Amino acid sequence: MKRVLALVLALCLALSLAACGGGNSTSQPAGGSETGSSAAEAVLTEEITIKFANYALLEDGYTEFWEGVKSGFEAQYPNITIEWVTAPYGEITNQVINMAGGGDMVDMMFGELDWIPTLEDAGLTVPVTSVLTEEYLADFYPSVLESCKVGDEIYGLPMYISPFILYYNKDLFEQAGLDPNTPPTTYDEMLTMAESLSKLTTADGNPVYPFGQTTASVAVSGASLTGMVYNFGGTVLDENGQLATGNQGLKDAFTMLQTLDEKGYNPQNAKLKDLRQLFATGQLAMYYDQSWGFNGVSSINPDAASFTASAPALKGGSGDGASILQGQVLLYMDNGDLQREACRLLTEYMLTEEVLVDYITNITPAYPAKQSMADMELNPVLQGAAGSIDNLSSAPFVAAQADLNLELCTLAQAVTVSDTDVDTAIANFEKTASGMVG
Amino acid sequence: MSTSTAVRQPRLKLKKTTGDQLFSLALIAPTLLVTIVFIIVPVIDSVIKSFTEYKIKNIISGAPGEWNNFENYIKLFEGGKLWPAVIHTLLFVVGVVLAQFVLGMALAVILNSGLKGARFIRSVMMMPWVVPTIISALVWMWIFQPQYGLLKYAVSVITGGAVSDFAILNDPNTALLGVAVAALWKQVPLTTLLLLSGLQNVPDDMLEAATIDGASRAKKFFAIVIPYMKSVISIVVSMAIIENFKQFPLIWTMTGGGPSESTTTLAVLSYREAFVSNNLGSGAAVTTLWMLLMIVVVAVYRKLFQAEDMN
Amino acid sequence: MKEKNIPLSVCKWALLVLILFFLLFPLYWVLVTSFKTNMEAYRATPTFFPDAPTVESYIKLFTENNDFFVYYKNNFIVSGVTALITTCLAILAGYGLSRFHFKWNGIVVAILLSSQMFPVVSRMISLYDLMNKMNLINTLPGLILALTAAMLPFTVMLMSSFFDSVPNAVEEAAYVDGASRLAVLWRIVVPLVKPGMLAVAIYSFLMTWDDYLHCITLIQNDALRTMSAGVAMRYLGELSYDWSLINTISIIGTVPMLLLFFFFQKYMVKGLVAGAVKG
Repeated sequence: MKRVLALVLALCLALSLAACGGGNSTSQPAGGSETGSSAAEAVLTEEITIKFANYALLEDGYTEFWEGVKSGFEAQYPNITIEWVTAPYGEITNQVINMAGGGDMVDMMFGELDWIPTLEDAGLTVPVTSVLTEEYLADFYPSVLESCKVGDEIYGLPMYISPFILYYNKDLFEQAGLDPNTPPTTYDEMLTMAESLSKLTTADGNPVYPFGQTTASVAVSGASLTGMVYNFGGTVLDENGQLATGNQGLKDAFTMLQTLDEKGYNPQNAKLKDLRQLFATGQLAMYYDQSWGFNGVSSINPDAASFTASAPALKGGSGDGASILQGQVLLYMDNGDLQREACRLLTEYMLTEEVLVDYITNITPAYPAKQSMADMELNPVLQGAAGSIDNLSSAPFVAAQADLNLELCTLAQAVTVSDTDVDTAIANFEKTASGMVG
Repeated sequence: MSTSTAVRQPRLKLKKTTGDQLFSLALIAPTLLVTIVFIIVPVIDSVIKSFTEYKIKNIISGAPGEWNNFENYIKLFEGGKLWPAVIHTLLFVVGVVLAQFVLGMALAVILNSGLKGARFIRSVMMMPWVVPTIISALVWMWIFQPQYGLLKYAVSVITGGAVSDFAILNDPNTALLGVAVAALWKQVPLTTLLLLSGLQNVPDDMLEAATIDGASRAKKFFAIVIPYMKSVISIVVSMAIIENFKQFPLIWTMTGGGPSESTTTLAVLSYREAFVSNNLGSGAAVTTLWMLLMIVVVAVYRKLFQAEDMN
Repeated sequence: MKEKNIPLSVCKWALLVLILFFLLFPLYWVLVTSFKTNMEAYRATPTFFPDAPTVESYIKLFTENNDFFVYYKNNFIVSGVTALITTCLAILAGYGLSRFHFKWNGIVVAILLSSQMFPVVSRMISLYDLMNKMNLINTLPGLILALTAAMLPFTVMLMSSFFDSVPNAVEEAAYVDGASRLAVLWRIVVPLVKPGMLAVAIYSFLMTWDDYLHCITLIQNDALRTMSAGVAMRYLGELSYDWSLINTISIIGTVPMLLLFFFFQKYMVKGLVAGAVKG
C-alpha cells in the first residue's frame, strides 16, 4: 500500500515539477505605473526590454540590418534590451495574437501595411500618436500616413514605402531586339514586346517568361492584384469599404490575366518569391513586385543589379496606371508608458539617415517615407520607377483584408489555371467576398 | 487458530482486490491525466467554441465566446467552401489509402516470395518513412517544381516535347494527386512492413495443402492469405485512414490549399478559418465537423469489416 | 513447390523495381541536388550526376546559416525526453491495462483510442490557452508535455499488447515469493518486454522528430525551436528560395533519423509489427 502511495506521490510530484519548470521565460515589463513625464526620464535609467516581433530577422536578406539595429541601439541605450520574437512571415500575426491572448503582448512589430487592419480589429495595436509626437509624425508624407489609417487613427508607422513597380531585365530586352531603355508603358505595348521576349531561351535552355504577376494564395498576391486592378482604373472596394466590383477596370484586369495565361506569358500560380527566383536566373523578362523584392532577387543572383531596371506600373484600359502603396511598417502595442517611451526611442533611432539610408539604398531598395529623407540617393534600379510614387490610389482597409486578398487570388486562379470565364469568376468572387466585407 | 485464518482469509482477499485496483489506477493515472489535460480538454473546449462567436478579441481579452445560435455552422453550410473541402478530404483519404494498400501489398507479396536480398530491400525501402513530413514535402516540391523540376523534364521527354510545362501542383485538376503522391511515398513503407509481417504469419502448411489440392495462385491468395491476414489488414487500413484524415503539414507546405482551393481539405479549411481569417469559432466548427466525419468513416469501415468477418 | 513461371517473375521484378524506384529515387535526387550549385540545379535539362560536384551548400549550412544546429539540438532534447517520458508512462499504463481488468479499463481504452484520432489542428487553439495558463508557453517542458500527450495513446496500446504476450505464471510465482507489485513489474516483467520498450521509445522519437504544428504554435523563441518548424521558418521565407540549400537541409535533417532507424531497426520492426499485428 505504502509503495503504491509513494509511487502516486512521486508521479504527481514529477508532473507538477515538469509543469512548473521553465515558466520563467516571460519577462514582465519593468514597472508599469509611471506617469508620462517620469517615463521620459526613467526610460534612460531603468532596465527595459523591448519585445520586438520581427519575421524578417529570419530571412537571409534582412538579418544583418536588424542585428545591426539591435547592437547599435543597445550601445546607445545600454539600459534597454531588444528581445526578438520571431515567426515566419505567414505566422507572425497569429503568434503575436496568441501571445497577447496569453497576457504576453509584444511592444513592437515589424510588418506589412496590409496587416494593420487585422491587428487593429483585434484591438492589439495602438495609434502611433500615442507613441510618437505630432511633430515627429509631421515629417512623414501625409498621403502615406493616410494609407495607414483605420478610421481616423494611424495604426502603423511606415519605415519605407513602395508601390508595385515593374522590374524588367535589360539583357533580355536587348536579346529580343528591344530597346533596354524604353520599357513598356501600357499593357498593349507589353503584349507586343512579350511576343518577341517569349521566343527567347536562357543559355541553359530554359524558356523565358515575358511577364510575371503573382497569383498564388498569399495575402500579398492579393495586394498585387489589387494594384493591377487600379492600373486599369478599376476598384475592388469603394471609399466606404464596401465591395465595388461591377466596374470595367476590374474586368479588364482579370481579362488581361487570362490573356497572359492563355499565351503562356505568366508563370502560373507563382508566389512573389517564385517570380523573384525566375527573374534572378534570367527566365522572367518583366514582373510586378514591391521595390524591396529586389533584395530577394539579388540574394539569389548577386549580379542582378547589372541587368535590372524598373518602370512604373503599366496603364491599361481607361486607367492611368495608378498603383497601390505598399509599405513595411512598425506597429505598436501598449504595455505601459515606459515601454512606449522605449519604443519611441527605438523608432527614432531606426528611422534616421545613418541607420536606414544604407539599408534602403543598397540592401532593400525602397523609397523613404519621411520628407526629410527625400533627397537621399535612390538605389539605381529604382530610378526608372521613381515617378510612380506620386501615382497612387488608396482604398480603405477592411477588417477582413487578408481574407479579401486571398479571395482575389482565388479569382485570379479561376481565370488562369481553372479556365473559368471572367464574368462567372467575378460573380463567384462577389458572392464570397460580400460575406466578408460589410 | 482455525477461526483466525477464517477471518483473515477474506480480509486478505479484499485487500488483494483493492490493492490491485489502487495499483492499476496508479499505473494508469499519469497517462490518463496527461491525455485528458492535453488532448481531451482542448478538444472539448474547441467543440464548445464552435458554437460561439469567438475571434481574436476573445483571445486577447480572455472573454469567453458568445453563443451565436449555430451561426458558424449555418455560415459554413451556406458558404461554398465546406462541401468541396469534404470532397477533397474524402478523395484524398480514399485515394491514398487504396493506393497505399495496393502498392504495399504488392511489395509485401514480392518480398515474401523467397526473393534473394529481401531483408536488405526491406530495410532500404523503409527510408522514406523516417524522412520528416516537412522535408518530404520539400523533396516533392523540388521534383514537381514547375520550371526546373524533374517531373516536368520527364513528362516533356516522354511526350516528345508535346507537354513541356507540366506542373502538377499548379493545375487544379492534378494538385491533389501531387500531394497524394508525396503522402504515399512516406506511408507505403510502413504499410508494406506491417503487411509483410502479416504474410509471414500465414502458416505454410495451409498453403501447401491448398497447393496439393491444385488451387491457383490467385485463389490461394484470396481464399487463404487474405482471410488469414484480416486483423492485420484491418489495423493497417484504419491506421492509414486516420493518418490521412489528419494530414495537414504536407498539404499546407506543398500547396497551402490552392490552386483554386483544389487541395483545400477540412484540415486546411479549419486552419485557414481559424488562423488566416482569424475566425476561431468558425475554425472550431470545421474541426468539429471534421472529427465527426472521421468518426463516421472509421465506424463505417469497422462495421463493414466486421460484417464481412461474420460471413 | 517452386514452379518456374517466367512471365510472372518478370512482372514481379518489374513491379519491384518500379516501386523501389518510386521510394528511393527521390532521396537520390535530393542528395544529388545538394551537391550542385544553384545555377546547375536550375537547368532545364537536369543532370543526373552533378557536372561539378560542390559542397558549397554544406559549407554554407555549417558556417553561415548555422542556427540550423540550434534547431537540431533542441529537437534532440525534445524528442529524447519525450521518448523517455512516453516510454515510462506507457510501461506503467500498458501494464495496468494488460494485467488488471477493472470496469474503467473500457473507458480508458476508449479515451486513448479517440485521442489518437483527434487532429492536432482541432486542439491547438485551446491547447495554447491552457499552456499559457500553466506558464508553459514558449518552454521546452511545455512542448515536451504536449508531445508526450500526443504520443501516449498509440504507445500505451502498443505496450499493453507486449505485456499481453508475457505469461501470467511468471508473475504469480514471484507473488508467491512475497514480492510487491511494483517489484514484480520492475524486476520481472519489464525485462521481458525490452524489445517493446525500445520499439516505443524509437517510435516516439521518430514521430516527435516529425512534429511541426505543436512546435510552431507553442514555441515563439527562435532559440527553442525544433527542426521542422525552424526549417519552415528560416529557409522557406517569403523573400526567396535557395533550392540547393533546401536540399542540403533535407539531407542533414534526415540522416540522423536514418542512422537511428538502421541501428535499431531490428527492435523497431519487431516491435511495431508485434504491437500492430496483435493490437
